[in-house]
Amino acid sequence: MISKLDESVSVSLAFDGVKKTIAPKVLIWKGRFYLIRKVGLHHKFRQGRTLFHVFSVASRTSFFRLVLNTDTLHWKLEGVSDNLAN
Amino acid sequence: MDLDFNSVNPQVMHVDINSCFATIEQQANPFLRGKPVAVAAYDSPRGCILAPSIEAKKYGVATGMRVIEGKKLCPALVILLPDPNKYRDVHLKLRKILAGYTNEFVAKSIDEFVLNLAGYPSVAELGMIGVARQIKQKIRKNIGDWITVSIGIAPNRFLAKVASNLKKPNGLEVIDKTNYLKVFAKLDVTDLCGIKKGYGSRLYCKGIYTARDFYNAPLWKLKSAFKSINSYYWYLRLRGFESDNVEFGRKSYGNSYALARPTVGEGANSVLAKLVEKMSYRLRSGGYCASGIHLTILFKNGRYWHKGVSFSEQLFATPQILKKTRMIFDMAPKIEIRNLAVSCFGLKSIGGLQLGLFNDLEKCFKLVLSVDAINKDFGAFTISSAQTLAAGNAVPDRIAFGGVKELEKIVF
Repeated sequence: MISKLDESVSVSLAFDGVKKTIAPKVLIWKGRFYLIRKVGLHHKFRQGRTLFHVFSVASRTSFFRLVLNTDTLHWKLEGVSDNLAN
Repeated sequence: MDLDFNSVNPQVMHVDINSCFATIEQQANPFLRGKPVAVAAYDSPRGCILAPSIEAKKYGVATGMRVIEGKKLCPALVILLPDPNKYRDVHLKLRKILAGYTNEFVAKSIDEFVLNLAGYPSVAELGMIGVARQIKQKIRKNIGDWITVSIGIAPNRFLAKVASNLKKPNGLEVIDKTNYLKVFAKLDVTDLCGIKKGYGSRLYCKGIYTARDFYNAPLWKLKSAFKSINSYYWYLRLRGFESDNVEFGRKSYGNSYALARPTVGEGANSVLAKLVEKMSYRLRSGGYCASGIHLTILFKNGRYWHKGVSFSEQLFATPQILKKTRMIFDMAPKIEIRNLAVSCFGLKSIGGLQLGLFNDLEKCFKLVLSVDAINKDFGAFTISSAQTLAAGNAVPDRIAFGGVKELEKIVF
């Protein structure tokens, strides 16, 4: 079950200048570190003129939906689920 | 008239994302991969399933079923709500990949594209099969490793679609002069896109059961079955000649919504206001005004009511359209409503708007466009009528079945 959230979180994002790819690497949520192992999908959308980047990512045990507001450059955690997904 | 199968090398390609919405959700969340998943309009028991995953389909879960029916067939079914922005983004990424092969491609829906590759250098270099394999590879690399597409190759659009349906998921099939009869022999006429109950029973009456019978039937027999020009189009389609290379222009704009709880008359007013607001914004964004409004209401008792009215004036402003829609709504029976659908027709370019003698249309026009500009910059419904407030989150963002004309305008 994916729980919807709307929490500010800390994210470290890495840009690979050779492959020209970007990916979140670490998420800090409620004082806990989550190492991001896989980026499932990266997509974009606009709300008004603000562009948002959404990273659907997975740590070893959980799924996270991370959203970057490109106006403020702030990250939000908008969804989380465990690997049981039911 | 006796026409053989088109002998040209097949150069039309149909690309179809397998179980589109569900596969994209599985791509996004790796923990959902390999599990039965369905994207549904609502996650309540009566919510309509829009897209079951490949795993869910194995349990018999199908598009159009209620969530409760899907759960009965597959108790472990994971229900997800649609995320239109995600699907639009994948559509645009796929569009970008396909644009690298040909300029002649059309998005038939959010998950289907038709490409005409005749005369393009990629075919000369790789061949049709080579191009198809490269497209699959690029999708895996640039969009996601879980997303698969079925590709059909044939001399015309229709047979390319038939070919793409032959093997799912991840198919790559060709229909050409060497194998068409073999393929047709395996297909019932109702397996063909465009032939369902109505046309199917007409063909059965003439002793036409398989696509092979359909192909072998003389034109006079098809004419007696269809009783229209459609007989000739089918005659051409099955022989690999193009009869579907037609792009239909925009004829109307519309929005619909299934109410969470059946509501009587006035209670549905706020939803109606929101539907009209959304529809009229899309109408103006497309550069049109309308001269008619059509309202369809589905009642709790299963009956429905609809009425379309044409007006002498050109409609473009939301309050103006809402006033007319209310007028039609007031004619409807006052019983519990389950579903509301409003559309506008008689489209004309907004540039040709006729200025009235007795009302300041130009002033109104400028005001409406200014409000639209604010909503575009700050998000939909930033400025909207107070009547829409009671509707809350009703009328959410959705992907329409079929056409994706408005998607073509999205630029990030």
